[in-house]
Amino acid sequence: MSEPREISLTIDGREIVAYEGELLHDAARKGDVEIPVFCYEPKLGDPVGACRMCLVEIEGIPKLQTSCSTPVREGMVVHTRTDQVKEAQSAVVEFLLVNHPLDCPVCDKGGECPLQDISMGWGPGKSRVIDEKRHFQKPIELSPLIGIDRERCILCYRCVRFSQEVSEDAELQLLERGDRTFVGTFDDRPYIAPFHGNITELCPVGALTSYTYRFRARPWDIEQAGSVCTLCPSQCNVSFTVRDERVKRVLGRDNAEVDDGWLCDRGRYGFEMFESDRRVEGPQLRGGAATGWETAIERAAEVLRGRRVAAIVGDASNEEAFLAQRILRDALGSADLDSRPSRGADRASLVRLAEPALGAKVRDIDDADAILLLGTDPLHSSPILDLRIRKAIRRGGAKLAVATERPTALDGGAAAAVRYLPGGATGFLFGLAAALRGGGESPESAVAEVLGGAERVVVVWGDRVLREENGAGALLDLVATLKLVERDDSGLLEVPDFANARGLREAGCLPDAGPGLAEVAAGRPTEQIRAALESGELDAVLLFGVDPLRDFPDTAAWDAALTAADVVSFSMFETATAAKADVVLPLETHAEKDGTVTHPDGRLQRVRPSATRPAAVRSNVRVLTELAAALGLDTGITSQPSAFAALTTAVPFYNGIEDSDIGGRGLRWQEGPSAANAPAAGAAGAGSADATPRSSSSPSEIGSAAPRRVSDEPAPAALSGTDAGGLELALGTYRDLWAGPLTELNAPLKFLAPRQKLELSLGDAEKLQVKTGDAVSVSQNGSSVEAEVQIKERVPAGVCFLSEGVAEGNANALLNGGPVSVEISKLERVEA
Amino acid sequence: MADPRETRVLLDQAEDPALRTLEGYKRLVGGYSSMENAYRTMEQDEVLSELEDSGLRGRGGAGFSMGKKASFLPRGEMQKYLCCNADESEPGAFKDRELMQRNPHQLIEGIAIAALAADAGHAFIFIRGEYNDQANILDRAVAEAYEAGYLGTNILGTHRDLELVVHRGAGAYICGEETALLDALEGKRGNPRLKPPFPAVQGLYGGPTLINNVETLSNVPRIVARGADWFRGFGTEQSPGTKVVSISGRVRRPGNYEVELGISTRELIYGLAGGPLPGRAVKAFFPGGSSSPVLTAAEGLDLPYSFEAMAEAGSMLGSGSIIVADDRVSIPQLALRTARFYHHESCGKCTPCREGTNWTTKMLERVVRGEATPMDLDIIASVQQNIIGHCLCVLGDSMAMPVGAMVRKFRAEFEEVIETAGGVDPHTVVAPPPGILGATL
Repeated sequence: MSEPREISLTIDGREIVAYEGELLHDAARKGDVEIPVFCYEPKLGDPVGACRMCLVEIEGIPKLQTSCSTPVREGMVVHTRTDQVKEAQSAVVEFLLVNHPLDCPVCDKGGECPLQDISMGWGPGKSRVIDEKRHFQKPIELSPLIGIDRERCILCYRCVRFSQEVSEDAELQLLERGDRTFVGTFDDRPYIAPFHGNITELCPVGALTSYTYRFRARPWDIEQAGSVCTLCPSQCNVSFTVRDERVKRVLGRDNAEVDDGWLCDRGRYGFEMFESDRRVEGPQLRGGAATGWETAIERAAEVLRGRRVAAIVGDASNEEAFLAQRILRDALGSADLDSRPSRGADRASLVRLAEPALGAKVRDIDDADAILLLGTDPLHSSPILDLRIRKAIRRGGAKLAVATERPTALDGGAAAAVRYLPGGATGFLFGLAAALRGGGESPESAVAEVLGGAERVVVVWGDRVLREENGAGALLDLVATLKLVERDDSGLLEVPDFANARGLREAGCLPDAGPGLAEVAAGRPTEQIRAALESGELDAVLLFGVDPLRDFPDTAAWDAALTAADVVSFSMFETATAAKADVVLPLETHAEKDGTVTHPDGRLQRVRPSATRPAAVRSNVRVLTELAAALGLDTGITSQPSAFAALTTAVPFYNGIEDSDIGGRGLRWQEGPSAANAPAAGAAGAGSADATPRSSSSPSEIGSAAPRRVSDEPAPAALSGTDAGGLELALGTYRDLWAGPLTELNAPLKFLAPRQKLELSLGDAEKLQVKTGDAVSVSQNGSSVEAEVQIKERVPAGVCFLSEGVAEGNANALLNGGPVSVEISKLERVEA
Repeated sequence: MADPRETRVLLDQAEDPALRTLEGYKRLVGGYSSMENAYRTMEQDEVLSELEDSGLRGRGGAGFSMGKKASFLPRGEMQKYLCCNADESEPGAFKDRELMQRNPHQLIEGIAIAALAADAGHAFIFIRGEYNDQANILDRAVAEAYEAGYLGTNILGTHRDLELVVHRGAGAYICGEETALLDALEGKRGNPRLKPPFPAVQGLYGGPTLINNVETLSNVPRIVARGADWFRGFGTEQSPGTKVVSISGRVRRPGNYEVELGISTRELIYGLAGGPLPGRAVKAFFPGGSSSPVLTAAEGLDLPYSFEAMAEAGSMLGSGSIIVADDRVSIPQLALRTARFYHHESCGKCTPCREGTNWTTKMLERVVRGEATPMDLDIIASVQQNIIGHCLCVLGDSMAMPVGAMVRKFRAEFEEVIETAGGVDPHTVVAPPPGILGATL
């Protein structure tokens, strides 16, 4: 895209250089001229010019103009402090206060309130209003998390615009008219939507406040601590509001390269679980007995020393992951290490996928002509990307193609949406590549049509694609077909299962790759580790921030494995997995730890300690170095800086990156000092530079061998009814946004904890004679879970879906790593 | 029967109920011949230049040149729209109602020709919901026009298409504001949009859109049939043509009167409308609907009734609706009544209008209750100044200008009301006494 032309204009006598067409308010800020605004918020899209606070005088135009909506022109002369402007701005403040209760002393916003600040700076300072103000019942619940005080509202309707045009849930509306206008929902229903917390931050007055923060602190009691949320791979930049060294609130710390200034409600409200009574607040021995650190480290070393040990790393910073792999490889001499809950691609493929030319930045989504959403629903797996893709469609005119197992939240805005059967991404991808090369009419053609004409293409893909036999090969085949390497502002953007999956990988937590994806003697991946623990080929396992009994496929097998083996578990909460451990070592939360993480697009970001750890919790890095020392390995690491230095030295493409380079905004290593050291396909040994991946059968062979795709047509015969008369359906699973400890351990979020729902097509439900709300038993090979039927229009026939990670009826009990079919039977409810 | 002082063009033959039918329209006034001629023989530019040359000014309130407005629409292959603004909701204005009720086909023919000028393929008549009878009449007329091939596809065999939809509003004054009308038509909350972009560039559904008032469009068939010079033969240099003037308030014969622009205002009020009731005198009047600054009898009665003369006198011709207040009307009551209307109708989107109309109403209520001080009159005046020119659309100004003018011109009366602690003569209410309504319709 061509750079916009630079022009110069004069504001209050200052010469300001701005881009042609830039809005006057923004241009003024470049020249340090502040023009007050209430309704204007560029994140919400086009200006609306409603509050009239930003009126300024432009020479040559008789009437005052709103600077939020006026594009700048060469030679424009603007005045923001003339008597005429001052009078108008002061008048607008006076008008805003006509109906505002001025209850600042009891308002949570007091001290950090734009209305207060602007009234002080631009207002008349004295009220002429003696008339009665409008009254509303207040505060009332807008949602279980947000209270609304309609008397304080100044009707900038930022919240309504967010709901309508950013999150597109369209729940918030302006009701009534004139000064009787108020913000509400249809029929006063609660506003329940996964991003709704953002409206509390958008509100320029104290009208929308979170119940989690109401009356908890005053701006002069608190400190803001910038960090990164590591609850999902979005890694949004956050600012923790800390009072008395405890987190009281989470705010966004706008970073257009990462989160675009929004947070999801997980990230915003998840912090209360830090203080849950199920938090592991100190080292424990088997049975939950608290113990001292010396004993704990010694006991852990005993469990591991001289034995056949594996390790699985999950919720960890890059430094923690690096240390964990050093302990395993260098202190224990094992190669059995992984950082994935199930199967994954081999090193050669991962090296190919890490090539900088293949990767897209988050920001590339904004300007993409076409986006392919493959095998993931961002709403559940990386929520902030959901908003980003909506923005690309709404404001950038991007076309979206969705290809997933399960219907996604983005289907509604998609130009094409195709479903494939669970485990059928590979077949779909080869089909798509064929369609792009000009194959005939196929279910993939619709997607090919969206991608075919586009110049800038971003493929947002779920890393579960790599669980399939040749998923990586199929993905690389698409990359080659689309020639993504040669295109600017295009590429792949991964949505992994683990928040810091890329960091763990690059720090060396893979069975066949060391730090920097270096070639190492190959060990066992996750599934083989589980089998070896169960069979006794391995004696013990070190678990760091993982809960296999909740989060990994095949719960029964994991239970057997963890029962058979000795376990050292680093865990944040008392989980079923931790209960099986010989030693449980407490983990810091992301508000407490110090370290770096790597965003799926390669951006190194710094997680900074913001809150104090519980007294008996120690820094994870310190615990790992002490454990290493107890096992006879001197890592030379004494602190976070030395751990970071060791990491950047060990990972060739992190070489030379300093903490100051990362700063508050992060640094993509692809744009860092050692980008040239990026793993190259040429160095990958087995893998070669040619587009067709190692070990793959030819695309057509795969395509025909495993046509696991569905379209509008009935399910393939092999998957329809069984001769036993019962109905066997392919099972697809997903991780519900709200599944897990976040909602279970967090009092304010408990209402969101999902019940297990079996999503079915209408046709299959009719065959099973069940309707929405019925209880059913879903079984597979002897294991079964209970679920509540939910008939969904967009679920294809022959498939059903369950969520992983829920407290009751976890789908992981039915999975075994590959595609499975389940049998469904209706349960008769016994009336109490 | 038409008064001889009237110049009936738009209301020609209006007494004959047959004019409502397509057959009657053709027979009585030669209807649809202008459209047939335009569609068969004229190019878009010819129609445009005829309209521009005629000097026809918008009859909805702003008085902008209709031809010029139509020429702002971009050329090229894209969906363009024409919207007829029939959301006549201003207190004092009822001329569009009569035009649609008496002669619906004149409007439809005007729309068809204007669509040719604007190259629009879809047209809408946005009619206020309260005009139910008129909407029914339009519905029937539109159906007749489709039937006769004046609307629809391949009109008159010219391969031109035009779809016309009559859309009933849901009862909000603000939807008469052109951008709010577009939002309401799109099914959204009827709030004004930020301009620019102007509707001519980006209007309905994002397409270029021409929006005109009922009376403006009703003028189009004759201008195109008889030429710009014929039209300029009526009225003044800057205000050519005739105007249907709604006269209401304290006069003997309230109603609609079609006159040449430039006629003396006294002739309108005293001549056509019969002047004030016996024994009463005109104290002040709104020359262009409730949103125009009031003129005192001394200021306004001898002015020519034209866009330019009214603007020069510090008021405006607006939609051409005169509301007369006689010497028994309490101006503070009138100010309150005016403010209440705009307070009720303010959409609430922009601050000065939302809060200004509310605050002004509350202060005026205190004034008429006698709970105010003269200082409050200064505040009222200053609040009106703070509204004018600062709002998103003109609704705020529409209250601030007349209320401001009343406080300025009749300050002594306001002070007297305050002094007498609300002891207002009970007869001085604004609603006219029963028994004098119904001169027309």
